[in-house]
Amino acid sequence: MTVPAVREHTAEKNWIGKSIPRLEDRKFLLGRGGYIDDIVVPNMLEVALVRSIYAHARIVSIDTADAAAVDGVVAVITGAQAAELTDPLPDFGPDPANHPWRCLAVDKVRYAGEGVVAIAAESRAIAEDAAELVVIEYEPLEPLVDPLAALEQGAPLVHETLGTNVAFHREFTFGDVDADFEAADRVITDTLHWGRSGGQPIETVGAIADYDHATGMMSIHANSLSFTSYLFMLAGTLKVPSNKLDMHPVPAGGSFGSKLWEVKTPTIAGMLSKATGRPVKYVQDRMENISNGDHHGSDRRYDVQLAVMNDGTLRSIKIKTVEDYGAYIQFGVGHHGNALAQVTGPYKISSVFYDVTAVLTNKCQQGAYRGFGSEVGNWVIERMVDRAADELGRDPADLRRQNFIGPEEFPYFIPTGNVYDSGNYGGVLDTALELADYAGWRERQEAARAEGRHIGIGICTCQERSVFSATEFWFWFDEPAAPVSSMPESVTLDIDALGNVTATLYSCAMWGNSPETMVAQLVAEEFDLDPQTVNVVYASSNQGLPATGPGGSRFTVMVAGAIDGASGKIKSKAANIAAHLLEANVEDLAWVNGGFEVVGTPTARKELAEIAIQAHLFKHSLPDEIESGLEASHVYDHPYTTMPNDDRTDLGVFYPFMGHASHIAVVEVDPETGKVEFLDYTAVHDCGTMVNPRSLSGHIVGGTAQGIGTSIFEEFVYDSDGALQTPSFAEYVIPTSMDVPSLKIGHQETPSPYTPHGIKGGGEAGRMMAPAAISSAIEDALREYGVRVRRLPATPERIVDWIDDQE
Amino acid sequence: MKAPPFGYRRVDSAAEAVAALAELGSEARVLAGGQSLLPMLAIRLASPSHLVDIGRAGDLSSASADNGSFVVGASARQWVVEHEPAATAAAPLLVDAIGRAGQVPIRHRGTVVGSIAHADPSAEIPTAFLAQGGTAVAQDTSGTRTIPAEEFFQGPYMTALRDGELLREVRLDRWPDGTGHAFEEFSHSHESWPVVTAAALVHLDQGVIDRAAIAISGVGGTPVRGTEAEASLIGQAPDPDALGAAAEAATADLQPFSDVFGSGTYRRKVATVLVRRAMSTAVARAGGAT
Amino acid sequence: MSTEQHHISLTVNDRVTDAEVEPRLSLADFLRRHLSLVGTHLGCEQGACGACTILVDGESVRSCLMLAVQADGSEVETVEGLASNGELHPIQEAFRQKQGLQCGFCTPGMLMRSLELIRDNPTITHEEAREGLASNLCRCTGYQYIVEAVVDAASEMR
Repeated sequence: MTVPAVREHTAEKNWIGKSIPRLEDRKFLLGRGGYIDDIVVPNMLEVALVRSIYAHARIVSIDTADAAAVDGVVAVITGAQAAELTDPLPDFGPDPANHPWRCLAVDKVRYAGEGVVAIAAESRAIAEDAAELVVIEYEPLEPLVDPLAALEQGAPLVHETLGTNVAFHREFTFGDVDADFEAADRVITDTLHWGRSGGQPIETVGAIADYDHATGMMSIHANSLSFTSYLFMLAGTLKVPSNKLDMHPVPAGGSFGSKLWEVKTPTIAGMLSKATGRPVKYVQDRMENISNGDHHGSDRRYDVQLAVMNDGTLRSIKIKTVEDYGAYIQFGVGHHGNALAQVTGPYKISSVFYDVTAVLTNKCQQGAYRGFGSEVGNWVIERMVDRAADELGRDPADLRRQNFIGPEEFPYFIPTGNVYDSGNYGGVLDTALELADYAGWRERQEAARAEGRHIGIGICTCQERSVFSATEFWFWFDEPAAPVSSMPESVTLDIDALGNVTATLYSCAMWGNSPETMVAQLVAEEFDLDPQTVNVVYASSNQGLPATGPGGSRFTVMVAGAIDGASGKIKSKAANIAAHLLEANVEDLAWVNGGFEVVGTPTARKELAEIAIQAHLFKHSLPDEIESGLEASHVYDHPYTTMPNDDRTDLGVFYPFMGHASHIAVVEVDPETGKVEFLDYTAVHDCGTMVNPRSLSGHIVGGTAQGIGTSIFEEFVYDSDGALQTPSFAEYVIPTSMDVPSLKIGHQETPSPYTPHGIKGGGEAGRMMAPAAISSAIEDALREYGVRVRRLPATPERIVDWIDDQE
Repeated sequence: MKAPPFGYRRVDSAAEAVAALAELGSEARVLAGGQSLLPMLAIRLASPSHLVDIGRAGDLSSASADNGSFVVGASARQWVVEHEPAATAAAPLLVDAIGRAGQVPIRHRGTVVGSIAHADPSAEIPTAFLAQGGTAVAQDTSGTRTIPAEEFFQGPYMTALRDGELLREVRLDRWPDGTGHAFEEFSHSHESWPVVTAAALVHLDQGVIDRAAIAISGVGGTPVRGTEAEASLIGQAPDPDALGAAAEAATADLQPFSDVFGSGTYRRKVATVLVRRAMSTAVARAGGAT
Repeated sequence: MSTEQHHISLTVNDRVTDAEVEPRLSLADFLRRHLSLVGTHLGCEQGACGACTILVDGESVRSCLMLAVQADGSEVETVEGLASNGELHPIQEAFRQKQGLQCGFCTPGMLMRSLELIRDNPTITHEEAREGLASNLCRCTGYQYIVEAVVDAASEMR
């Protein structure tokens, strides 16, 4: 594949760019959202698990007799039995055969909360009653909680068959790192630690499976699982033929990545449905979701060196990172691919060394969380740039601006091989500084200091990549087992006999993003109709065209491409029909205001509805070669992916549509308690052409709230025995309305040259920037103490300790 | 997270409640607001045989002044007491503590007495009760008895109540006119579990402290009174140095527990800060300059 | 004991309802499973998140922290009672106009709490709304547009 053509974008838009009310909302407002737990199927059983109390232990024996005898219990399945009924779960890790992941633990448990026994009963309450009666004898093993200890000789092994706790290690060199470091005037060094937090949507994950023994069909409703082309892997796990698994998507009550590909609940539900011959619902409760939900976020330790010149030029960066993946590694080190997509930030850094070690420990595994590892990379580069600014005595905004890739330099290839398609970083920074009243806040900060108050201002300028390619899952390996390259999204548009439009989506698209609204606005733009009249439906995978769903801020761009393609096919057919009806040449027709007309003769015109009814009902009025009906499907593949080179000194283009944002946080810190409060917050984002600005702004605010959580509140805490100290919402602290400030939001639109309408993804907005701005602000507030924020979350206790350490 | 099975009995009076407790045995528990008990049942930390629901017991719902006390019955909701003018007049410290005790919907159902009987070592209402002083009135089928506030809390979630006893009301001592009060709390987010709370009451006589109370929660198995610190303040002018010293004294010997919300060291540091701030506010409200 | 059933009679969205329930059945599960009023959601079952917030006798409560038996004789209002004849209640319309929701899961609880806030304070300000909403967690919106929706709805409802 070569570089795609640069697109011409129409300036005039009727629906794109309008903040229309969302199509999704009415049903949610009425309480009829149709979430997974709202669905009740006749004869349905419900599931509870018995979960491990140990972080690491051999399972010696399991006695399920008393549990099975409870009135209302229909099936009790141990891990060993599950291993007969199911194959290991789909696993994109480096060596799945040697770190096998199953729906229930078999010989040993590898983290506190891992499922050991599954119980299906007439109600969830009865299943839980029975769970209490299961007797398990464990032989506790030494828990491995510290990822650095995991690297040592003689450390307990999480997977004996792997022979090591290092699931993956590789060093990458992009550009001439040695020369750049040689030539540098100074090297800024630091160690950083990003603790694990997670999406924690208010709705957990779940599935209802219904196996029909008569037809062999496994039908599953789930609030997870897009990547429809990969569903054959789940079918394999469930031991059904690949064309007999039908996944029905239902709206997800939030995901933030955690419902991108959640295979355990459908597997357990499916297994039990097959075993019992009844429909089975398994929805995780909150504690299950936290401890056994397979979606913890990044957990990284860093040693970083930034090579800089005395004049402020940033030259090169060396990053060595050890990541604690937990007991399994379902997505491999894809999170580092995300980081490498924008590892140099918005700056003209010429070379990169990247050393990544993925370690397994006795904790719940990671999954996907908003940013998928790139938000950590943003934090790292910004922390280093702040430090450079300190050491060089430079203003942090100026230093950044000096190093920005200039607006005329796009498309810009960064050392890793990825491309930034377009941008205007100086413009975003200028807007942010003005919107924030940066100068005014510096004055207020001075005055406050005189009163003994500790106000801090933090600035960040960060990238937000969108639309990932499949290559980032395998370019880690010189000889990947499966060098996949498809990451499509599909849509079917159907114009009915009255000219009304139905758009069919093929993934579990609705997570709280606005897929229906996006589709409606894009279709409205194409066909000049009211977006509120578009009907958006979701097909199950069996009916399906390939789809990937939301994630990596890809959905709007990809569905726009699919709509572009499908609309083009429909308009082509419609034009031919119109030409026939008008007895004109199709070359003389133009699409104007909802219909085709002869150029120069506006009275010679057919509306879409007129064309549609002919197409549906009046075959004999159509040209001979045209079939009845007016619908088209389009499979839109990633428009700009290139392959890595053989030695991986160039990873190719894999995340090209590059958004950018600047956040400016103003905080006040109480040095006696470590409490951080927000006085002001500004976020300016450039996600290319916006479809629904209000919707994007909503994601910016929500993402920033999660970024605040990551920065100062949220962490999954495991103690030295591997017990999870934050098993519920009582201990895992999620920001409330009083913990999140009101944001001042600004937008800039630098269109992508490669995407429909110039749209770039923006759904992960906010969380990818906020931690950098907030860390910076906290440091600025505590400048008199010389505090450096190296660890997230910067909890009140850590802040107090950092102050004490300096005194 | 569904509760284990239990039996249920709704009662309309204290007498019915204690009769039910006696009949149903020691595995029966009192249900008032349920805002502490039901979450425990959801995670199966408790498995009572029966719940005796006093939520609508008419003779337990009052919150009113009675001679030198402010009396709160077992079924009086936190929200009702919080907005009861007599409470603001007689026990403003309690009112402030209630205002910090959980989100509004929780306070609509939760009871003041229930929070005291639950005896969470970090909770707000027990701190206010301990600072203000007074008595807990326990009732069983053999009659009632009073337990002084300072003897009521015995350990984490453990009180001086015996099997079969209902905590029927608490009587908070009324402090003299002009008493200044303050309640301070440190929590991570606006609504998350309290890490440390501190309650202070101060009365001045001609600019000098003649009575003081300091109570702190989240620093041990029970809330604690800073009795030595209080004693050291009597006769002192309430200047910042004196208050600072009292705060140090109130926390000097504490060895707080460590948990995910804060280590023992941090809890002690924050407790000292909160006591100082609470004292300062209380003094200002008592009419003293600081 | 464990098969004990209790008779309850309560009014839900102006409709009188009678049922036999197990003591341990939460009010949330009663609404969702016995009455098929699935608009009230379960997010944590511990009273922390507020997704299950409804109004009981006019006051917001966590329906996951109430037993159905405790609601005997009470008047319960859930999200399903807001709209009339398919027309959105002003509070729902305000959320829609302001995009005060993204995934919609916390929304019913937010709506009921917002209704209470506005009933108690018809001239509610942004600051008051933000403070009042601290009782309910939202993971998607960051609260800003919910606050705007509440203020707008209050003005509509005056």
